Amino acid sequence: MPLDAPIRAEFVALLGDQDVIDDPVRTRTYECDGLTGNRVVPELVLLPRTADDVAGCVRICARHRIPFVARGAGTGLSGGALPVADGVVIGLNRLNRVLEVDPENRRAVLEPGVTNLEITAAAAPHGLYFAPDPSSQQVCTIGGNVAENSGGAHCLKYGFTTNHVLSVEVVLPDGSLVTLGSDSAEQQGPDLRGVFLGSEGTLGVVTKVTVRLLRTPEVMRTLLADFPSVAAGGQVVSDIVAAGIVPAAVEMMDALAIEAAEGATGAGYSLDTPAALVVELDGTVEECDEQFAQVKEICDRHGCTRLHVAGSPAERAKIWRGRKAAFAAVGRISPDYIVQDGVVPRTRLAEVLERIEQMGSEAGLRVANVFHAGDGNLHPLVLFSAAAGETERAEELSSAIAELCVEMGGSLSGEHGIGTDKACSMPKMFGEEDLAVMDRLRSAFDPDRICNPGKLLPTPRLCGEKPGHYRPHPLEEAGLIERL
Amino acid sequence: MTRAAPTTLRPTTPKEVRDAVLDTPGRLAITGAGTARHWAGRPAGVDATLDLSGLSGVIAHNPGDMTVSVHAGTPLRALQDELAAHGQRLALDAARVARGATVGGLVATADAGPSALVYGGMRDLVIGATTVLADGTMVRSGGHVIKNVAGYDVAKLMHGSYGTFGPLVEVVLRLHPAPRATTCVAVDGPVDRAAEHVLRLMASPLEPIAVEWLSGEPGRLLVRLEGGERTLPARVARLVELLGDGAREVDGAAAWDAHAALTAGSGAAPDAAVVRIGCAPRTLAPLIGRLPATAVTAGLATGVATVTVPATAVPEVHDTVAAAGGTSVLRDRPASAEVPAWGPAPSSLALLRAVKTRLDPDARFAPGRFDPWM
Repeated sequence: MPLDAPIRAEFVALLGDQDVIDDPVRTRTYECDGLTGNRVVPELVLLPRTADDVAGCVRICARHRIPFVARGAGTGLSGGALPVADGVVIGLNRLNRVLEVDPENRRAVLEPGVTNLEITAAAAPHGLYFAPDPSSQQVCTIGGNVAENSGGAHCLKYGFTTNHVLSVEVVLPDGSLVTLGSDSAEQQGPDLRGVFLGSEGTLGVVTKVTVRLLRTPEVMRTLLADFPSVAAGGQVVSDIVAAGIVPAAVEMMDALAIEAAEGATGAGYSLDTPAALVVELDGTVEECDEQFAQVKEICDRHGCTRLHVAGSPAERAKIWRGRKAAFAAVGRISPDYIVQDGVVPRTRLAEVLERIEQMGSEAGLRVANVFHAGDGNLHPLVLFSAAAGETERAEELSSAIAELCVEMGGSLSGEHGIGTDKACSMPKMFGEEDLAVMDRLRSAFDPDRICNPGKLLPTPRLCGEKPGHYRPHPLEEAGLIERL
Repeated sequence: MTRAAPTTLRPTTPKEVRDAVLDTPGRLAITGAGTARHWAGRPAGVDATLDLSGLSGVIAHNPGDMTVSVHAGTPLRALQDELAAHGQRLALDAARVARGATVGGLVATADAGPSALVYGGMRDLVIGATTVLADGTMVRSGGHVIKNVAGYDVAKLMHGSYGTFGPLVEVVLRLHPAPRATTCVAVDGPVDRAAEHVLRLMASPLEPIAVEWLSGEPGRLLVRLEGGERTLPARVARLVELLGDGAREVDGAAAWDAHAALTAGSGAAPDAAVVRIGCAPRTLAPLIGRLPATAVTAGLATGVATVTVPATAVPEVHDTVAAAGGTSVLRDRPASAEVPAWGPAPSSLALLRAVKTRLDPDARFAPGRFDPWM
């Protein structure tokens, strides 16, 4: 159902004319997130300024059963913020205030449009920081981090976004405003906050987030180590963990990723090495020094060809700049690329990387690897040229890699989510009963199925159906299948 | 309808749990080792009890990946013994573990111990779970990887559910390396003085694993440090200097046993009740001062405390904690005491009921546990 003038008038009455966008040129700005291959122009874009505005927008949507998609900076890579054609986008960038930094209780209260890096910037004067730090932290927002449970390189030691969010204020799909979680780690009743974290915007819209802040460690030691093979680097990771050391981060890059990152940032990576590890330890001086010596010894034992220790905070920042810019930098060595996101048990890293290489050669496409080695979270970058007609092959390879992770006992996603990109792969990881229960859970939050429809689960039960209100699947209409 | 005496079912495999759920009509209470039998609301109108203590044992331990899957009825104490042989542990030290609490029970009751300061509670350590729903559906979520955003985190929903959505049958956990060395530093003093110590401690780089105040005359603050055998003494020296006030290294095992006993309300008067409370950490010390507590263990850096109070004072405790922006739940209480288990309902109550209706439409599981909320 197209949004007619009286409905638009309701949004205008709530937000004012300037914050309701229906100009086709401007709505087009919101047609995709970081998964740029999928585009849908929304009918309207709403730009609320307060939580009450958001609730008002959702109430109008609920009353008219209009599908809505909340969106922050649009850095998501799985199509989680892909609009619905006859629906609205609720842009949350104007809810961008740091409401409170409370050093004594080590927490901050934020609106969803605050960027990840702004949280740490606000906490830094108090000697505190926010541990989850996705590579896109300069631009990605905490609302999006909550939706995707996206945490970046420091999750291995410090846990994931879900471990750092004390509570979220959310607008449920019926327009009611509720708080999930509380001020302390103590929990009352089932952990609805934990269900909401990582739900990819399908259960409601975040309007306020209270996060835990950690004390900035006394010291941080960062090293960059080159290895003669990805397998040797992988073995180093296993040995570090086996020695009882939990690094703050362990990142690995292969030759292609290094070439791209070094070309873009000049971070000091070696261009002639098949694999490099970035290992960071943090903590008290005593513990860090002892463990750092052990890590260096393990690197040497596995044929490390060059070991560079960051001698200053500036050098450390340079090493990280290279790693964090790696995705974008791949644009320098390929006209197009797909960022995949899968997880495997850490012990299967070498095996899975070998299989990826093999699959790449079979498909005639290059795959660059840059990933969180400590927690087995891979980010294979499938390089291709759309102009050369390689798009479909690249998409197939990318999906096959994600499904390979499941075969290896892992997961379809570690931090980018399922979105629209991998919804059809969900049956590879979960049985029909599991998915049906997830669908029941979703319907408890959103009985009318208007909140970010078409994402995460094969919608509603079958791939190939259009997102939005329920419409009979063509096979249903033909009487060949029935809705359970 | 007259109810017969409730039957107890003791399945020993996930399939038997499913069969028991499907073949037993009516309402089911769920129990494991029984260490939290009297916590939260009392089971009411139960037709049968599902005892999961026979569903025990490790399913798969992957030492290299530091993950383990276990049957829900596995006592955590037994699991820790197995993991210790590999230099690993589940970083959870809830007081009732020593009394045989099971992994499933610890998840279902959202229990945690002092080390939650660093490692979190079960919600932070569970990476996968399988649950049997009322219609016999076995729902699985998560897996053997610590980073995972595929699908809804159903395991989190089970955390703190008190069995209200169904019995957990399998739990997958992330593990941590066992520390090479552990020590405990104590400093005596009342709670407000301890709170000031904790403020300085948490602003320092010393990275304590647990920080708990125990009531007594005059009360005592315990601080646990973990680290390398060679490096720990230097950190202990820094900690002792930071705390001053007669701070000294003490026998950790004895100190934490005393903490666990106090948390459990051991030795309390027969008419006493135990209440678990949570609030913003800096609110905790003044809040404790306003409660009619006869014994307290207080995580002054986490905001979580366990207080022993006269059972008649439980409603007052709920009200006082809620007024301070905190949450509270009744743990143990005298058999005869009819006191509210929960404080004021959260704003998400309607949502919680909707979830319950979707997953357990006939309200078969754990009736009474969330009384009067649902």
